[in-house]
Amino acid sequence: MAKYLVQVIVLGAQVVTRAFTRAVRQEFAASQAAAQARGTGRAAQESAAASSLAGMSLQEAKQILNVTSMDPVDIHKNYEHLFKVNDKSVGGSFYLQSKIVRAKERLDEEVRIDEAEKSSKDVN
Amino acid sequence: KAGIWRCVLQAFRSVEPAMKQTLRSFPKSAFSSYYRGGFEVKMTKREAALILGISPTANRAKIRETHRRIMVLNHPDKGGSPYLAAKINEAKDFMEGQGKK
Repeated sequence: MAKYLVQVIVLGAQVVTRAFTRAVRQEFAASQAAAQARGTGRAAQESAAASSLAGMSLQEAKQILNVTSMDPVDIHKNYEHLFKVNDKSVGGSFYLQSKIVRAKERLDEEVRIDEAEKSSKDVN
Repeated sequence: KAGIWRCVLQAFRSVEPAMKQTLRSFPKSAFSSYYRGGFEVKMTKREAALILGISPTANRAKIRETHRRIMVLNHPDKGGSPYLAAKINEAKDFMEGQGKK
């Protein structure tokens, strides 16, 4: 009787261990894939930090200011226009204007990160 | 003791016009603090009202009037951002949906 009980327990433990190691391996692979897609370099980390500090993702910032490239000229031009048309004095929404300001700040920070990375690469 | 306060008050009164002048000359942005962060993940009544710049209890006419005004200012055909235009429409739909009984 005891022998069978032991067998069941051992089998159970094997099943659990196998499932656990499979899950761990999958998780590791997934995080590697994600890291590769986004890049684990310092710039990518700084960008993620900037997004969480600003409470706004890079993608949202680009959508708000309607820019596809990171061209500072484009960013500035769109910002100026959007900021002006949403001014309270012309009946615009201050809330929208705020988002426009924050989007500009987020993009400025991203440009700064990009430039810093570029210049550090040049040095190397 | 009262004498001291009277002196203080008089001094303040003489300085007040100069103070008001300086305050007026500051750029408005020095004092208005912009809302932080991006848009909410999911639209809320609070955010919808803020986007349109109206009270959360505004009536239909008001919602429609401000929506039109804000939309005209932000129209994509006139250099506005499609994303912002979508948000403005979303805000209006949300407010109108809330009002429905």
